[in-house]
Amino acid sequence: MIPSQAAADQATRIGEPNAVALAFFFGFITITLGITYWAAKRTRTTEEFYAAGRTISAGQNGFALAGDYMSAASFLGIAGLVSTTGFDGLIYSTGWLVGWPVVLFLIAEPLRNLGKYTFADVVASRLKQAPVRIAAAIGTLATVTFYLIAQMVGAGGLIRLMFGLTYETAIMIVGAAMLAYVLFGGMIATTWVQIVKAVLLLGGAAVLALLVLSKFGFNPVRLFAAAAAQYGHDVLAPGRLVAKPLDAISLGMALMFGTAGLPHILMRFYTVPDAKAARTSVFYATGLIGFFYLMTFVLGFGAMVLVGPDVIRSVDAGGNMAAPLLAETLGGTPFLGFIAAVAFATILAVVAGLTLSGAAALSHDLWVNVARGGHATQTEQLRVARVATIVLAIVAVMLGITFKGQNVAYMVGLAFAIAASANFPALLLSIFWRRCTTAGVVASMVLGTAATLTLIYLSPTIQIDILKHESAPFPLRNPALITIPLSFAIAIVVSLLSANAGEQAGYARVEREMHTGH
Amino acid sequence: MVAIYFGFILLVAYNKPLLGRLISPGLSLGVLFGAMVIVLSWILTWIYVRWANKHYDDAMQEHRPGSRQ
Repeated sequence: MIPSQAAADQATRIGEPNAVALAFFFGFITITLGITYWAAKRTRTTEEFYAAGRTISAGQNGFALAGDYMSAASFLGIAGLVSTTGFDGLIYSTGWLVGWPVVLFLIAEPLRNLGKYTFADVVASRLKQAPVRIAAAIGTLATVTFYLIAQMVGAGGLIRLMFGLTYETAIMIVGAAMLAYVLFGGMIATTWVQIVKAVLLLGGAAVLALLVLSKFGFNPVRLFAAAAAQYGHDVLAPGRLVAKPLDAISLGMALMFGTAGLPHILMRFYTVPDAKAARTSVFYATGLIGFFYLMTFVLGFGAMVLVGPDVIRSVDAGGNMAAPLLAETLGGTPFLGFIAAVAFATILAVVAGLTLSGAAALSHDLWVNVARGGHATQTEQLRVARVATIVLAIVAVMLGITFKGQNVAYMVGLAFAIAASANFPALLLSIFWRRCTTAGVVASMVLGTAATLTLIYLSPTIQIDILKHESAPFPLRNPALITIPLSFAIAIVVSLLSANAGEQAGYARVEREMHTGH
Repeated sequence: MVAIYFGFILLVAYNKPLLGRLISPGLSLGVLFGAMVIVLSWILTWIYVRWANKHYDDAMQEHRPGSRQ
């Protein structure tokens, strides 16, 4: 049924239908659909659909941000990377966290004070609506699409390995459940699904980490020492994953600035009542996510020592099954079932958040503010938002099936690179730079997206690994090192060339609103 | 924060032997720095949120207590 692995079959029950996993999973589906039913009765206006009526508290939003951010790529991917490469996997753990202070210091408050539903609201607040929103929608949809592909492909592979379903069935189930959450429950249901998922994921990972540590006298250093004793001292030092210095720097830049350009993360700041709550929710989210990434150190090295890199690779070449295998080793089939269900819930929740932010770009930015010039009734706006949700769900399922077998971490890296190069520079400059113009941010967003996609196509990952060419025209695996400065440069040069007194004058109002909310 | 993280990444990029040095058996400088980057980000956010909530929102009641873990 599943890739033949004689060695692993004896050691693991992964890939066989697991009663505990199915029970937990259906429990999760039942509870979240119950929440959706409850939320659907509270979702009547666009403000409720996109922003949960701005009633989410800072603590709840902190959990939901953490839920949106801790995707399967971080739980399964980092644990797998650390367990098979050691220290190098930790570069991802730290990189994915340090983006949060950037979001907090630069973006969270102005975003909450200036915008309604999407980050385009902020960029467009003193510039020309139509061109800015079209460009922002391109950046948003490009980011969301690649992130969706990563999650759907991950979900399909994961469910196939864990529950024994076919890849296509798994994708359909994810698509259908996510569609139900977003279509009927909007942001209220999506937020609570994120909260439930965050609690399950943090709880599951914490229990797993404690079980690992209990084997080493609750001393992480003894765990690292055991890993070094077994697999050599090199596992604790930087190694081959980031062999070239510039690759490490470029990846670091994408991870750090990408967070501040992810549409589904930015959208969460509209669900809280005010800027203070937005700020406080980042603090909670950073704490939760940091705690989680510290646990990935333990889970990764734990899987390396207790399961072994060879067994992990024999089940899944990318190492993605490290955490579930570790759970099975330590807690038997029932615990494997629990962790499998948690991983599935993780993907489902992230996909729902992504779909909602994509739907907001399509309906709020493109339809309501561009096609209808800002004039559309509540009923019409909600109907368009729901149609956009259905379209995106179908697209997500089709993309998931089309891109079967693609490398998940690479797709997420791509999404971060686009977010960092297309969305982040325009958002930052429109908030902090008086002389920024419509032409400047539009050029930056469009050329930023185009440059990122082009350089990724020319990178060794596509040219050498996928197309099997001898060499690649562009040397870096992640283009952020070039494309982030490029986007900033384009925005600045074009803005200076197209100086516009009217748009500069609007900055005084924006500056006041940004700090006070009025 | 940017400086802290890029300090870490630049060490990863250009000074691998330093990060591989062991402080005690099992604990390399690299792993320690990695953990410290995460803890420092958290502390910095905490300091900023505390400061901002006091500074911007004098009228607000008490800010939330700091720790969650």
